[in-house]
Amino acid sequence: MPRDFLDPYSRGNSICHRLPDRLKILLVLAMIITALFVPPENWPVHGCMAAAVFLAMTLAGIPLRYLLVRLMFFFPMIMGLAIAVPASTGFTKGWDVMATVLLRGTLSFMGVLWLVNVTPFDRLLVALRKLGLPQMLAAILAFMYRYIFVVFDELERMREGRRARTFSKQGLLASWKTNAQLIGMLLIRSMNRAERVHGAMCARGFDGEIRTLDS
Amino acid sequence: MSDDPSINSPVLSVDKLSYRYPNGQAALTDISFDIQPGERIGLVGPNGAGKTTLLLHLNGLLPGHDLPVADGQTAEASYPVRVSGLPALQKNLPAIRQHVGFLFQDPDDQLFCSTVREDVAFGPLNLGLSREEVLQRVATQLAAMGLTEVENRSTMQLSFGERKRVCLAGILACQPNVLALDEPSSNLDPRARRGFMRLLEDCPAAQLIASHDLELILDLCTRVMVLDRGRIQADGEPATIFSNQRLMELHGLELPLSIRYGKR
Repeated sequence: MPRDFLDPYSRGNSICHRLPDRLKILLVLAMIITALFVPPENWPVHGCMAAAVFLAMTLAGIPLRYLLVRLMFFFPMIMGLAIAVPASTGFTKGWDVMATVLLRGTLSFMGVLWLVNVTPFDRLLVALRKLGLPQMLAAILAFMYRYIFVVFDELERMREGRRARTFSKQGLLASWKTNAQLIGMLLIRSMNRAERVHGAMCARGFDGEIRTLDS
Repeated sequence: MSDDPSINSPVLSVDKLSYRYPNGQAALTDISFDIQPGERIGLVGPNGAGKTTLLLHLNGLLPGHDLPVADGQTAEASYPVRVSGLPALQKNLPAIRQHVGFLFQDPDDQLFCSTVREDVAFGPLNLGLSREEVLQRVATQLAAMGLTEVENRSTMQLSFGERKRVCLAGILACQPNVLALDEPSSNLDPRARRGFMRLLEDCPAAQLIASHDLELILDLCTRVMVLDRGRIQADGEPATIFSNQRLMELHGLELPLSIRYGKR
């Protein structure tokens, strides 16, 4: 997996990238809160926010194509949540709630997507710390960002290994079975790695308190 | 080993150390050796011999609790692992880990900070040094490892050899007097391996190098220990031990090519 898979445009130099990091965080936060509290009947407000997001994306030089691809990842997830509402009434009512969930979810997602693509992740964490995010949470986020690629690469290697030894087209059931085994293996390997990383931290004097150069 | 009393006291000593894995299988049995200041020792043996397990004992990452002490003895006097005379009891571990640096085999296990600079600063920050002192040590180590240009890069963007050097910089920034190195040359291409060996050679700390790279041990070490089935099977000069074909084959090793073809 390429190292900039999560935020390929974060190291650009547009006007958006040059805005103060904390200001960007607060802007996005304000947008999410507005999206959550303005009722959907006030759709012009949501429309304006969507327009603002698209404008901000354009200013930041983030292509529409990228946005659409990410939305395609995101949509099934939010849809799975939103569909639960009409499904619980046997698809008789609740469609308006579903639409609201979709609208608010998509707007918030686009806002955060913009934020991570105009701010490199390490700077984002520093800014969040300055806004009062607890050190421990910041450290967890930093570890996540550090190791997600390692874990993905590990998964990719295992999948390659599986493909190299799969000689015929597997049936749906069989392929789901190997997928389940892959995920199980990945979990075990990740836990072992966590053990080793913790050992490496202790070996350099880690005592439960995270200290960084920035704090 | 010399019994000459004029020799410095060992910087690390292991006396009759035994360890069983949590499943009860014996991993290490009656291990004893001393490391003198500045001494470089190789640790060789087949996979599963207990090399990594032994290294992990040197800075107290294993066994993870205080070992029981024989009746009539105190832990202070008879603990099996001692660093500069200090027993590796849980309460002493912060001090012990300051003395013993540990290089893991996989740099991804060791480089957990987002940037090179942050990672090298991790150890010194935990030592409670002043910010100036930390920055000073980071700068010194990065320069020594030839990494100054990449200090603000993410560790993920570096080559394997560079990552390995960042690991070493992060350890040396704590200024340990013993290094435990687990397979320092594995996965390195010849040039990176050569460069890394030179860095180890320049480092004044005593070193225990677990490796399958016998040529590296011949080049760097004045002493080698053969570990197999959790016991030290031989301990001596590398050239002597590595020329002993029977001994080597008995423990799953081969004569290094430089010895076999008399290039040394």
